[in-house]
Amino acid sequence: MIAQLLLTMMLFGILLYATMTYRQAPIIGFLAVASAFGGLVFVWFPSYATRLAELVGIGRGVDLILYTWVVISLIMLLNLHLKLRAQMELITLLARKIAIADTTRTS
Amino acid sequence: MALPATSNVWVVMAAYNEAKVIADVVADVKSTGHGVVVVDDGSRDNTAERAAAAGAIVIRHPINLGQGAALQTALDFALAQGAGFVVTFDADGQHRAADIAALLAALTSRNADFALGSRFLGSAVDMPLQRRLLLTAAVWFTRLTTGLRITDSHNGLRAMTRRGASAIHLRQNRMAHASEILHQIAASDLPYVETPVTIHYSAYSMAKGQTLFDALLIILDLFARRLHR
Repeated sequence: MIAQLLLTMMLFGILLYATMTYRQAPIIGFLAVASAFGGLVFVWFPSYATRLAELVGIGRGVDLILYTWVVISLIMLLNLHLKLRAQMELITLLARKIAIADTTRTS
Repeated sequence: MALPATSNVWVVMAAYNEAKVIADVVADVKSTGHGVVVVDDGSRDNTAERAAAAGAIVIRHPINLGQGAALQTALDFALAQGAGFVVTFDADGQHRAADIAALLAALTSRNADFALGSRFLGSAVDMPLQRRLLLTAAVWFTRLTTGLRITDSHNGLRAMTRRGASAIHLRQNRMAHASEILHQIAASDLPYVETPVTIHYSAYSMAKGQTLFDALLIILDLFARRLHR
C-alpha cells in the first residue's frame, strides 16, 4: 500500500508535468499523460498489468510496470531535448540581434 | 527582360572557418557589382578579416550557431538594408558568380519569388558518385515531403525577391536548414523556378560537404522540429 501511494504521487507529478508541457510540445504531453494514466491503472489494478503482460509476452506484471516507467523516463528525456532546442532558438535570436546591431553601428 | 539594378541586390554568405578561400569568393562575387554580406559564424580563423578586406560587409556571430542561423542573420540584415533581391551563395568556392545573373533573370522574366539553382539542370564538375546518389535520394525525400517539383534539393545558390526572402524564417540552425527553406517555400505558395547552375567540387568543398550520417541527422532534426512549437 505504501509503495502504491508513493508511485501514485510520482505519477500525479508526471501528469502535472505533462499538462504543463502540453502547450509547447503537444505530442510529448499526450504521450506522457497516456503513460502516466497507464501507470496509475497498473499500480492500482496489478492484475490488469499481469494480464496485459501475458498478452504481449512480457511475463510478469511487475516487469510491465518497470517497462512503463522506462518509457515515461525516455519521453521526459525527449522533452528535455526539445526544451534545449527551444533554448537554443532563443540564444540564436539574441546572438543575431547583437551581431546585426554591432555591424550596423560600425558600418 | 532587364536585370534588377545591382545596388538592389545583396549576395549573402554564411562562413565558418573559410579563411583559405573566402577572399577569392568575395572578390569573385564583388565583380558582379552587387552588395556582399558575409556572416562569420564564430570562426576560429581570420575568415572575418579576410572577407572584410575583400570588400564584404561582415556580420560576426559571437558564437558558432550553424549555417542555417547564419543565413537567417544575413537575410534579416539584407532586408533591413532595403534589399529588393537576395542571393544566397556558398562561401566554400563551389559556386560561380557568373550564375547569379541567370538566377536574377529567371526571377524577373518568369515572375517568380524564388529561383533555385540546380546542378542537375546545369552541371556538376567532378561530383563523386556517392554524392550524386545521396543528393538524388535527398531530392526524392524533398519531393515527397514538400510537393515541390525540383531536381536539386541541397543547392546553396538561390535568388529570391524581397517578398520571397520575407517568407523565410529559418529555425533549423544547422544542416537541416536547406530542407527547411524548401518546406517554407512550399508553405508560402509563392512562385518558384529552377535555374541551371554549375557546381565545382574540389577536395576543399568535399571535406566540408555532407555525409550519409549527416543526412540521417538532418532527418532527425526535421522530425524533432515538428514535435515542439
